[in-house]
Amino acid sequence: MSTIKSKPVYSPLAADVTGRFHLLLGFAEGGGPLLRVLEELEASAPPSGAPERFSRTRVLVAATPLEPFLKRGLARAQHFETADELLAEYRGLLESSVMGTRLYIAGPEHFIGRVMQIALEFNLNTDEIRAEAVGTLARRVHCVHCRAGTENVVTNIVRCSGCGRWLFVRDHYSRRFAAYMGVMVDAEAPGELPPVAEIYP
Amino acid sequence: MTVAQTLAVVVTAIEQVTPLIKHFTLAAADGGTLPAFSGGSHIIVVMQGSLRTHRNPYSLLSSPQRLDTYEIGVRRMEESRGGSHFMHDHLKVGSRLEIAHPVNLFGLEKIARKHLLIAGGIGITPFLAQLEDLEGATAPYELHYAVRSPEHAAFLDRLRNRAGERLHLYCDTENQSIDFDGLLSAQPLGTHVYVCGPAGLINRVVDTARRFGWPDSHVHSEKFSAPPVGDAFDVFLARTQISVHVPPDNSLMESIEAAGVEVPYLCRGGVCGFCQTRVIELEGELVHNDHFLSDAEKSGGKRIMPCVSRARCTRLVLDL
Repeated sequence: MSTIKSKPVYSPLAADVTGRFHLLLGFAEGGGPLLRVLEELEASAPPSGAPERFSRTRVLVAATPLEPFLKRGLARAQHFETADELLAEYRGLLESSVMGTRLYIAGPEHFIGRVMQIALEFNLNTDEIRAEAVGTLARRVHCVHCRAGTENVVTNIVRCSGCGRWLFVRDHYSRRFAAYMGVMVDAEAPGELPPVAEIYP
Repeated sequence: MTVAQTLAVVVTAIEQVTPLIKHFTLAAADGGTLPAFSGGSHIIVVMQGSLRTHRNPYSLLSSPQRLDTYEIGVRRMEESRGGSHFMHDHLKVGSRLEIAHPVNLFGLEKIARKHLLIAGGIGITPFLAQLEDLEGATAPYELHYAVRSPEHAAFLDRLRNRAGERLHLYCDTENQSIDFDGLLSAQPLGTHVYVCGPAGLINRVVDTARRFGWPDSHVHSEKFSAPPVGDAFDVFLARTQISVHVPPDNSLMESIEAAGVEVPYLCRGGVCGFCQTRVIELEGELVHNDHFLSDAEKSGGKRIMPCVSRARCTRLVLDL
């Protein structure tokens, strides 16, 4: 267990019925947890309150099948080819959303991080966002030397996509960059690398 | 933990701005610069009355950019224990007072995308200072100000000057009232609502916001309670090993202070939690009047806020 406080903590998704509008975002294995939330929302909605509650319940998914969501019928669900396309639509939705909206995010951490990064721009607080990490532990890494990002990092040490330095992948997480910090690992003894291991499968 | 240190100030101007509200300007007694503060801060004014020392919290309404003087607005309370009457009846230009350093328990959220400010009556005062902080900020704001009648609308010129079209005034006498549902049902994401005024207004805003799904982190309120009167009781202070009598119209904190024991405080209005004190023994019940402890903590009987809370008891021992 990391002692670094910035390392995000996730927990299983559950419907927050104190919210009025619900925005569900999922990537890959995140489809399952979102379906569970949708079921809970439907079960909790009183018959008279249902139309309002679901008028603005939206589901945005990528890399996961859309059919199970369409079968539920009440919420408007959309499928995207890539996470980037999904995030563009999501940003537009936040622009027109009102207070009372709750965000549910399910998928690998790198996806959650990018969704959270945009939520932060809209000043959504922790009591408006729920996130469940499922799937790969692959990390986005921010190089503290050249500031380049390196995607899908599964090893403890990685070569920076920008400057080519060998970076140690820290547990220090930046919500603003939506990435873990990567720090040059062989600065004192160039070329001497500790064993490289796949630790974020 | 230390008791807030006080500053000596002198009253440099007094203006009756409405039938019930006086506007006081205070300057440092030594002519120096006063401590910096941010919009929403309050000070405690220490008044040496003939029967007791009053210590009342008042929001600073002057611009945080001006530190040569502080300005406060004081409403004359009908059921006063003397503090507001002292301010209204005994202070003159040149009078000296002690004040505690400013403390902000009602600050603006700097990363908010929009600010929705709602004031009732004298509750306008913290917003006057906040408008100065909002001047030049990128986030938009609206100020909704409810008063009994036009003659009770204090500081209207200053507000119009600063807020212009962003000021919305509601007068009971004109049958104007805030449309709480309309106001809270469609605010953009990232809006924060701030309310200051009578308990009824605060409850209305907090309840309506909750009904429309606002999370607690976006809802801010401030109401200072005057210490309510109650039955007399006795308290034993375990650390100092003395017994103190609390008469019906003195607060627990005032009584302890009168016995020479200092209690740490910041707001003296049941808001900040700073004076929270451990209850060691209790035979009877606590009368909680604060807005700080949770319902569970209140019913637990292990904590008390001596600034506003009391007890109906045959025995009370505090960790002081």
